[in-house]
Amino acid sequence: MTKWLSDFWVWIDDRLPVQRAWDTHMAKYYAPKNFNFWYIFGVLSLLVLVNQLLTGVWLTMNYVPTSEGAFASVEYIMRDVPYGDILRYMHSTGASAFFVVVYLHMFRGLMYGSYRAPRELLWIFGMAIYVALMAEAFLGYILPWGNMSYWGAQVIVSLFGAIPGIGEGLVQWIRGDYLISGITLNRFFALHVVALPIVLILLVFLHILALHEVGSNNPDGVEIKKNKDENGIPKDGIPFFPYYLPMHDLVGVIVFLFAFCFIVFFTPEMGGFFIEYANFEPANNLKTPEHIAPVWYFTPFYSMLRAINFDIGPLNSKFLGFMVMAAAIAILFVLPWLDRSKVKSIRYKGWFSRIALMVFAAAFIILGVLGVKAPTEGRTALAQFCTLLYFAYFIGMPFWTSREKTFPEPERLRMKGLPLWMTLGGLVLVAVLSFVPLKAVGAESAFDCGTIPCEDFKADLSNKESLQRGAKWFDNYCYACHSLKYSRYKRVAEDLGIPPEIMTEAIVPDAKKIGDLMTNAMTREDGAAWFGTPPPDLSLETRLRSPEWVYTYLLNFYKDEARPVGVNNRVFENVGMPHVMVELQGLLECAPGTKVGAHGEAVLDNSGEEAVDFCGELVPTGEVTGSMTEEEFQQAVYDLVNYLEYVSDPGAEERKNTGVYILLFLAAFLVFAILLDREYWRDIH
Amino acid sequence: MPSELLPNFANSPRTISIYRCNWEKDVMSNDGVNVQRRRFLTVSTTVVGAVGVVGAAVPFIGSWNPSAKAEAAGAPVKVNIANLEPDSMLSVEWRGFPIFIVRRSEQTLEGIRKLTGQVADPESTEYPDQQPAYAQNPIRARDEHPQIMVFKAICTHLGCVPQYWDVNHPTDRDEWYGGFFCPCHGSMFDMAGRVFKGVPAPSNLEVPPYYYESDSVLVIGLDSEGAAA
Ligand code: FES
Repeated sequence: MTKWLSDFWVWIDDRLPVQRAWDTHMAKYYAPKNFNFWYIFGVLSLLVLVNQLLTGVWLTMNYVPTSEGAFASVEYIMRDVPYGDILRYMHSTGASAFFVVVYLHMFRGLMYGSYRAPRELLWIFGMAIYVALMAEAFLGYILPWGNMSYWGAQVIVSLFGAIPGIGEGLVQWIRGDYLISGITLNRFFALHVVALPIVLILLVFLHILALHEVGSNNPDGVEIKKNKDENGIPKDGIPFFPYYLPMHDLVGVIVFLFAFCFIVFFTPEMGGFFIEYANFEPANNLKTPEHIAPVWYFTPFYSMLRAINFDIGPLNSKFLGFMVMAAAIAILFVLPWLDRSKVKSIRYKGWFSRIALMVFAAAFIILGVLGVKAPTEGRTALAQFCTLLYFAYFIGMPFWTSREKTFPEPERLRMKGLPLWMTLGGLVLVAVLSFVPLKAVGAESAFDCGTIPCEDFKADLSNKESLQRGAKWFDNYCYACHSLKYSRYKRVAEDLGIPPEIMTEAIVPDAKKIGDLMTNAMTREDGAAWFGTPPPDLSLETRLRSPEWVYTYLLNFYKDEARPVGVNNRVFENVGMPHVMVELQGLLECAPGTKVGAHGEAVLDNSGEEAVDFCGELVPTGEVTGSMTEEEFQQAVYDLVNYLEYVSDPGAEERKNTGVYILLFLAAFLVFAILLDREYWRDIH
Repeated sequence: MPSELLPNFANSPRTISIYRCNWEKDVMSNDGVNVQRRRFLTVSTTVVGAVGVVGAAVPFIGSWNPSAKAEAAGAPVKVNIANLEPDSMLSVEWRGFPIFIVRRSEQTLEGIRKLTGQVADPESTEYPDQQPAYAQNPIRARDEHPQIMVFKAICTHLGCVPQYWDVNHPTDRDEWYGGFFCPCHGSMFDMAGRVFKGVPAPSNLEVPPYYYESDSVLVIGLDSEGAAA
């Protein structure tokens, strides 16, 4: 048996260089023994790549790349496909995770001079991966066909219009239509799922091949190949297998997976940074979202684009902005030839280089933060300054690196890096440098809920009674006009613990079956005729607007004879919706009350008195008395919004329950991995 | 360690360092290595890791099951059979399959009983999974309404849809009380969906789960009210 096996092995190895490949890339690939945690991000980006490929392939199994079907198919994946929500969140979280690890990987390169000769080509392949990744992420962001997808595509594609002469024709050619449409979506889908992944895989392959040809750099920036023993093995090198992969890397991978799974199972939107709220509304070519911002990983460059708000001679700001953005990325490609220092690593570079790198990092972070905020004068000025710093770092580099006094490099690798105080100092410096200027340009000042601050709202999806009551309120007061068209009666019944017979009897309309979608009979045309605008579908309303908003909105109807429906709303001015729950709440009207600021504080007028708002509070009119007390009504609205919050992401509660077990498992796995890693690393002296 | 798990590989004519751990010689001082602890940790970490991989595969494998949409489309269907004439047939769709419902007259039921010797599996005992237990009888129907026959009109040979031939339809059989003929390769079934001997189809036509909500309403897809689909 074993004879047969070993013969078979020799047969294979004679025909395929398995042994040679294994030796070259694993068992006899000698990596410097002083890698620190910064060296985990290469492996992690490979891991994320695999995650994206797998989950991506699985998502295409149910995704429909048409303008009519895309948005609904994503909701179909989220609600109807078994485990679809997990696969989708793994993919969306993976996109952001990819950039997290790639940015850290690149920063590592900047710190330790990993781009310097003989690793120029390695760096260039890496940069090519980064550019391909940005294209891939952008295209992928279009696919859910939410309103942010749509307008993001609109803005980015329009950028190409800045190119003089050919711009307009080019934009139309990219879109394949006179506006971003299903045709554009279709080609972007093809690029996202077929063309760019192939390019990415090829580039990653070249990146690794180039790395293993020249060997890894290390925190000391000293070539280990200069010091070899009698067998030609670097004295400071250790075999990549098994010390780094799998032993050391496994520990890092598990820590990463812990953070990754936490996001996937507990907070997949990451407060709107990983999945933007405005994308919970289907694409609408007639309405731009109120706040339009790219996903966080593009924001530094987006800030630079916005910072260029002036013309220079014949060049208009649109073209200049585009050029600056392109140059910001292009300049990274030539970095290997900008650094003239005698030493590679920050450990031995001079003080000027060290501080400059921290300032550069802070400028990049500031640009990123500014990119998600609405521009103000102060912010634009700060963005301009940081853009300047960004370029100054690269343009100035040849000058200071060739002049500054460096520290002597050691002959052999050192296991210890810069003293702790210096490392922490660097971290604090970056934090302070990024935080202080941002603080200086001010905070948001708008109300979150129209003319007033939002009420507090804390959803409780484990409270089945509340959800059941909410379902009842929805059926009684909302369902006549609003649908929940991505949700199915059956799922709601199961999740809320409503027996199917009762669901069928009480909520499912006669013409429908319990497995059907919760659409309603009102057509968009009727709705538009009756209310001015058709009542929106509410499946995703609380994710689009936030539950606080919906809750506050429903409590703030007041009498206003000037409106066709007789009421107005403090949260949504001149809304077309009537006060459907007036029989419960009673009719309220405006009364003078304390004017409050954005944070709920009283606003003072010129004389130092508390200012008065003509609609500072709502009081009963007495015309229509409600059948409920104020508390009862608040409870009813709470239940209703709680129900809507459930409907917006019906898998949320179950994901959290699963997530707990997954995190516990990873914690246990981590213990094993650490023990095993320590066991093997005893060998290394 | 792999080297210990596959010790004989060292005896192969070529050094197979993919299995043999050369690095042991290269870089480590063997003194102080606790082989047993090392092996234990390797095996246990591998096992825990394998559990993790299996867990990670769950969503990928699970997502191939029918979605809520497919389940809704495959939900039980209700059929009103009040107007179904004796010896006539009704075709409805359930889970994308044609389902035939036939009301058999007394003569037809009589005929079915006479065919015992000519059909391959008269009591439906050879392929018990072809029908729910309550239809495993010579006339292959529920007791409440023995004249009603419900079956999936998919030929058990290679899946064509058989045609209904009534008692007057010319056939080359000596005895004919009506039945079903598959146009693809000529399989024939009697009015209980039982396959005749000597035709390509191996087994009787499949009877789906069904029950009577009332005398005139038939539900296809469930064995009884409230049963799991
Ligand atoms: S498929 Fe019906 S006889 Fe072959």
